[in-house]
Amino acid sequence: MSPALARTLNALGLIAISVVLLAAFAEQFINGELPCPLCLLQRAGFVAAGLGIALNVAIEPRPAHYAMAIVSAIVGAAVSLRQVALHVVPGTGAYGSAFLGFHFYTWAFIVFALIILGCAAMLFFERQFEPELAPRPVRLAGMSLIAVALFAVLALGNGVSTLAECELGLCPDNPTSYMLFDSAPGNGSDSAPAAQ
Amino acid sequence: MMALPFLFAFLAVLTAWRQWRGATIGLWTLTVLAMLVLIRFHFTDALNIDL
Repeated sequence: MSPALARTLNALGLIAISVVLLAAFAEQFINGELPCPLCLLQRAGFVAAGLGIALNVAIEPRPAHYAMAIVSAIVGAAVSLRQVALHVVPGTGAYGSAFLGFHFYTWAFIVFALIILGCAAMLFFERQFEPELAPRPVRLAGMSLIAVALFAVLALGNGVSTLAECELGLCPDNPTSYMLFDSAPGNGSDSAPAAQ
Repeated sequence: MMALPFLFAFLAVLTAWRQWRGATIGLWTLTVLAMLVLIRFHFTDALNIDL
């Protein structure tokens, strides 16, 4: 596998991670389901895994970059598996709605497992790590540019969304509203109830 | 505090875009460490850690 082909495959992988983050945003803003702390940590796992893949796209494929993605995916998979374990016992309920029969934390575990398997599979192709004969592009262009730009926007968007939901502290276990907007002056939600 | 991993990650993407590999890896390390700290704060009972 040539370095150029490896870079293209990594760009596709980065776009796939961005699609996962976009789906989470769609669930949050269209269906109005606020992400729980475990859900946010799973999103952070996807973003962290994407960083290694983004390095493969923006600079060049290296084993250390794949290692970054694998380590991040393991942390994310541990969090999603914890959430699966919380709800695996019958009668314990679930968090959020289901998609194609699975809840989002189950899908998150599957995608984290796919990231680990995909990176491990890519590591088999060692020719991608050989020095390139042609100089690598200094500036991102085409699909690589789209992949990294979309990923950057989603990382920032998740940061802003999380800040709005949790402010500077820790998130409630079962969030129902954006804390930043609740505490805004004039909102009135923090004021004492009116005397009868 | 929950937004910290995303903040570090966003900065890391920008440094990756600029092809500053060392800075990206450093910020990725901070991202993962922030995640682990949040796990520690939120889920000590889940991990059966008696602190």
